[in-house]
Amino acid sequence: MQSFDRMFEKSARSLAKRTSRRSLLASLGQLLTGAALLPLLPIDRTARAQSPAAGAKPTADEQNCAYWKFCAIDGFLCACCGGTSTSCPPGTQTSPITWIGTCHNPGDGRDYIVSYNDCCGKVSCGDCFCNRNEGEKPMYRLSRNNDVNWCMANTESNYHCSVSVILGVAGE
Amino acid sequence: MKRIVSGVMLLALVAGAAPPPAAAGPQPPPLPAEHLTVAKVGPKSPHWVYVVDYAFNNEIDTRVYLFDGDTYRRIGQIDTGFSPGVNVSPDGKTVVVATTYFARGGHGTRTDVVEFNDTATLAKTGEIVIPPKHTQTLASLFTAAYSADGRFLYTPYLTPAASFGVLDPVRKTVLSEIDTAGCTLVFPWGVNRVSSICESGRLLTVTLDAQGHEATRNTSDPFFDPDKDPVFAQGVPLADGYAYISFLGEVHEVDLTHPKPVMRAPWPLVSGQEKGTWRPGGVQIGAVHQSLGKMFVPMHRGGEGSHKTGGSEIWVFDMKSHRRTARWPVDTKAAGEVVAVQVSQDAAPLLFAATEKADLLILDAQTGRVKHDEKKLGQTPQLLLNP
Repeated sequence: MQSFDRMFEKSARSLAKRTSRRSLLASLGQLLTGAALLPLLPIDRTARAQSPAAGAKPTADEQNCAYWKFCAIDGFLCACCGGTSTSCPPGTQTSPITWIGTCHNPGDGRDYIVSYNDCCGKVSCGDCFCNRNEGEKPMYRLSRNNDVNWCMANTESNYHCSVSVILGVAGE
Repeated sequence: MKRIVSGVMLLALVAGAAPPPAAAGPQPPPLPAEHLTVAKVGPKSPHWVYVVDYAFNNEIDTRVYLFDGDTYRRIGQIDTGFSPGVNVSPDGKTVVVATTYFARGGHGTRTDVVEFNDTATLAKTGEIVIPPKHTQTLASLFTAAYSADGRFLYTPYLTPAASFGVLDPVRKTVLSEIDTAGCTLVFPWGVNRVSSICESGRLLTVTLDAQGHEATRNTSDPFFDPDKDPVFAQGVPLADGYAYISFLGEVHEVDLTHPKPVMRAPWPLVSGQEKGTWRPGGVQIGAVHQSLGKMFVPMHRGGEGSHKTGGSEIWVFDMKSHRRTARWPVDTKAAGEVVAVQVSQDAAPLLFAATEKADLLILDAQTGRVKHDEKKLGQTPQLLLNP
């Protein structure tokens, strides 16, 4: 959250320099309204993702695009790039903001909220490209969109690969 | 020393073993000396197409190929950096690129810049450095776009707070930044209006003053349901506005000839029986021949989540009657599914189709006959622009 706060503060300050107070307030008002209605706006989920959220670690082929956790991923699977489905490859940085999907695990019959963080700071991995779009939405619903570069707010904002981290069971 | 002597002897032996063939008759004259030049672009043809290659395997090296749909040859290339927005100026003289470069190739300080390229030479002619937050997303006509008179240039920003920059392409300056309250992309209309598409299913429209600053804004009524049937954010340009096609195949036309957007009654690409089975899909999901009034859409069989699946067929629609006038199957085994379409605007139009296999298909836009399959035009061509 800290980095999102910093980023939001920075962008808000930048915006304030260039727009009128009225339009800034209108914008913030809409964003806040949106935040209340849609708790899944792009936010920093890194801290939460680091704690085990869904019991046992899923065993599956993390290099296979058909793996259920990848149901809304769009990019190179980090497990083919030196990382795993939950870790970025050495020397890259995790994106603090991300898009999410809701994927069905046929193993236990549950639906899980999955965070698809990008790994940043190196050129495209170029291996195991995987694009699945269950529940994916266009850019105007940003938190569900996998087209944008989610490294956009990183100091090193080049895109390398994508991970998929289980955040919890959907609806809980 | 011994080794050098051996080498010399070997060379001598080889030379001795392969003497030039004996002349059977008078020798032809030697080839004339050649001169190194730079090729000219040549006179513009409506059958040229700019092919935006997003180069997914090395995204810092995207590029645009200028391709001739009559001779099937590449004319040249424009370099476009990382995750660019690309468009052509209203007078056709400039290809504009809003993009990112990193100071050390794949890393280092990020510089965002809008670059101008002369379409007569394909050489870069100028640039505007912009705030390092241009929207980095898939190829789209709406991540860099001109006003109708070419006086303003717009580029959307995303941090992920959404706004857009207004630029002066003549004086090469940034004029303003306008907050869009979460609405994204820039759909220009008229000489001073810009719409952005919102999560609420509305269009936000900002009208600019003469200095390129916000004068007024208004928000339309919702015209689609982003939960039940979202529209592709990539609108299809019409003569008088844009068409936004939904995942399930509803066409939402927006008339932009009035002071505010006027939403026409939506119409379907699919019959009741086809709905949910046949769907539009890909990246550039439609193109309209303005004077013939025909729209071309890549369609595929698929379910929820298949909206980026390319077309196994191209369907043709009459924009007045809203009737489908043709279905053209694509040889997907040979060429791959169609992810982007564009149609030339002349009287003998060509339909261009970029595929998942990175082929560029060239069809007769009136009959659907495939005239050419250009294999592997780059890595991931996903956006096609008329010259």
